[in-house]
Amino acid sequence: MVNDYLSLQCFDLSTAVEAKNVVKLFGNIHALDGLSFMVKAGEIFGLIGPNGAGKTTALRIVSTLLLPTSGTMKVFGSDVVRDAGEVRKIITYLPEEAGAYRNLSGREYLEFMAKFNTKNRNELHEMVKEAAEITGLSERLKDKTKTYSKGMKRRLLVARALMNKPKLAILDEPTSGLDVLHAYHVREIIKRYVKDHNVTVLLSSHNMLEVEHLCDTVTLLNKGKIIAYGKPHELKEKYEGSNLEEVFAKVVGFA
Amino acid sequence: MLKGFGNFLVKELKELMRDPKIVLGMIVIPTIMFPVLGGIMNFSIQSAQETAGKAIALVINYDEGENSAQFVSYLNSSLRVVEVSPSTSANVTALMLEYNATEVIEIPKDFSKNVTSGLKVHVRFYSLFSGAGLIEGIGSSTVDSLVEQFNRQLAPNIVVQEKSAIVKGKVIEGVDPRMLSSLMLSQAIAMPIITMILLSYSMQIAATSVAMEKEDKTLETLLTLPMDRFAILMGKLSSSIIVAAIGALAYMIGFTYYMGSLTATIPAGTDMDLVSLGLVPSIFGYLLLGASLFVALLSALALAVIISAFTEDVRGAQSVVGYIYPFIFLPSLALMYLDVNTLPFAVRIFLFAIPYSHPIIASKAVIMGDYWTAILGIVYVAAFTLVVMYLASRLFATEKILTAKLKFKGLRKRRKPTTQELQ
Repeated sequence: MVNDYLSLQCFDLSTAVEAKNVVKLFGNIHALDGLSFMVKAGEIFGLIGPNGAGKTTALRIVSTLLLPTSGTMKVFGSDVVRDAGEVRKIITYLPEEAGAYRNLSGREYLEFMAKFNTKNRNELHEMVKEAAEITGLSERLKDKTKTYSKGMKRRLLVARALMNKPKLAILDEPTSGLDVLHAYHVREIIKRYVKDHNVTVLLSSHNMLEVEHLCDTVTLLNKGKIIAYGKPHELKEKYEGSNLEEVFAKVVGFA
Repeated sequence: MLKGFGNFLVKELKELMRDPKIVLGMIVIPTIMFPVLGGIMNFSIQSAQETAGKAIALVINYDEGENSAQFVSYLNSSLRVVEVSPSTSANVTALMLEYNATEVIEIPKDFSKNVTSGLKVHVRFYSLFSGAGLIEGIGSSTVDSLVEQFNRQLAPNIVVQEKSAIVKGKVIEGVDPRMLSSLMLSQAIAMPIITMILLSYSMQIAATSVAMEKEDKTLETLLTLPMDRFAILMGKLSSSIIVAAIGALAYMIGFTYYMGSLTATIPAGTDMDLVSLGLVPSIFGYLLLGASLFVALLSALALAVIISAFTEDVRGAQSVVGYIYPFIFLPSLALMYLDVNTLPFAVRIFLFAIPYSHPIIASKAVIMGDYWTAILGIVYVAAFTLVVMYLASRLFATEKILTAKLKFKGLRKRRKPTTQELQ
């Protein structure tokens, strides 16, 4: 099914990410075992799977942090190995376990990050203002980030990843550590950015319900391999599951 | 009272003693370092004494009597005496160069006459001053003890030494080189201490700042930003240098006051002025000294950044940096007392090979006007720095900066969570 899907699509400008047979070895362990997928521009694409499935490794390769052992990965036509510099100009990456510089205030952190994207003072000001709104931290932005709770820090980092409206936002477990309300808030922001600013989002999650509500396309990953691929409703129909969790259990053979 | 203390203590000790970095850095290295230092000192002092025994002393004997001949043979028992005919004695410094001598002894005409009649006789001693250090005085003290022994046989203080120093080829009358050495000891101590503090502090700062990026999970984000990876490295190095420089300045101000309080009480009754003797570095010398310290600092920081990249957290980085400390402390402590030129060949090579010796060696060399030693040192350390910087930039350019980890095979069973953590 995966190959069918790929063969139908040829590379064009509307392709945000193109992974072809990506393998990543850590010693003898196959973290990724021939991964191929395609993310269309302007969609929210979800990688889901249990811990250790290879989600983070895949995202780290897309974001130029790790090099694939073999295979190719392209972001808007630029190879993540050869043109890493170009790729870094159009992406933002939010790691699952990320922190902010503890002795900077929230606002200083946002300004520091915004300066990599613009030299124009007005643009910078706008960017930080928008990010400040996303965080919902208002006055607390003046405080050092080491005083923030886990949730506050996460909102700051999500805002950082979206404020410059990157062509591709790579979000590893974007709502990790957030309570129900804040997770909902973050999901709404992600949706809004994709719609309003034509941002493409590649995210990972082990929360399958979250992915179901958020993503246009999902890929089920297990042990470094893709085991299912498609739109959430297609997958539910195909595997006769009432939600993606059931689909996953059926695909890996638990149910 | 103290419920659970024993159990908790055992757990703490297990955790600490099973950390190979702590065992190496805090136990193994110090137990090796100080015996090595002691060995070097012992070896050096012995060889300096041997060299002092081999030192050539020129004797210009204006007296033709029996007593002066006796005095010369006395000197000959412990020094290699070369007698020069008084008629050839044109210039003391030229003679010294010609015979490669470190000491010139001028015996006056009326030596034998005065000695037999029990009158005091003034013998002039010219000694070559080659720098400050503990061992410098050994040659000169050999002469002192010889004169003392000679006097003991005749009458107390019958032979009076009139000492002069030869500094940078100029005879400075009435200045005892040993006094000069002790006066300059403050300078000799300052540079090793500053080097030790500056290098070890700034290495801690640099290593901590890299480890903080890892520990606080900011490194990954940083590496995906549209910025030059080399700029990250340079940013880390520059900020560490700036903070370390401010720290060094604070130390130097404090240290100057400390030394000022000491020199105020040093050689009583002398009005020696190091500036008028030419025993302070020239402006060019100061520039060389600054350059030497700077390249050594840069090489230390780049090294700290590299090795801290192999650790996962701040504690790991700090203890790993500790492995480099012996290479900073050894030359600093050794060169505080010893002059590198008087050391045995093997020790000299060892010290020259360590980049962190060079600012200290340079600090002594520039005072003596020996700029080439300083310049060659700078060239060597700069080359070393370039190699280390290249390695550091390679490390930052690849995924190694994220995945590199120190492995202590054999100390404990090899850990394998690396891959899991990365997935």
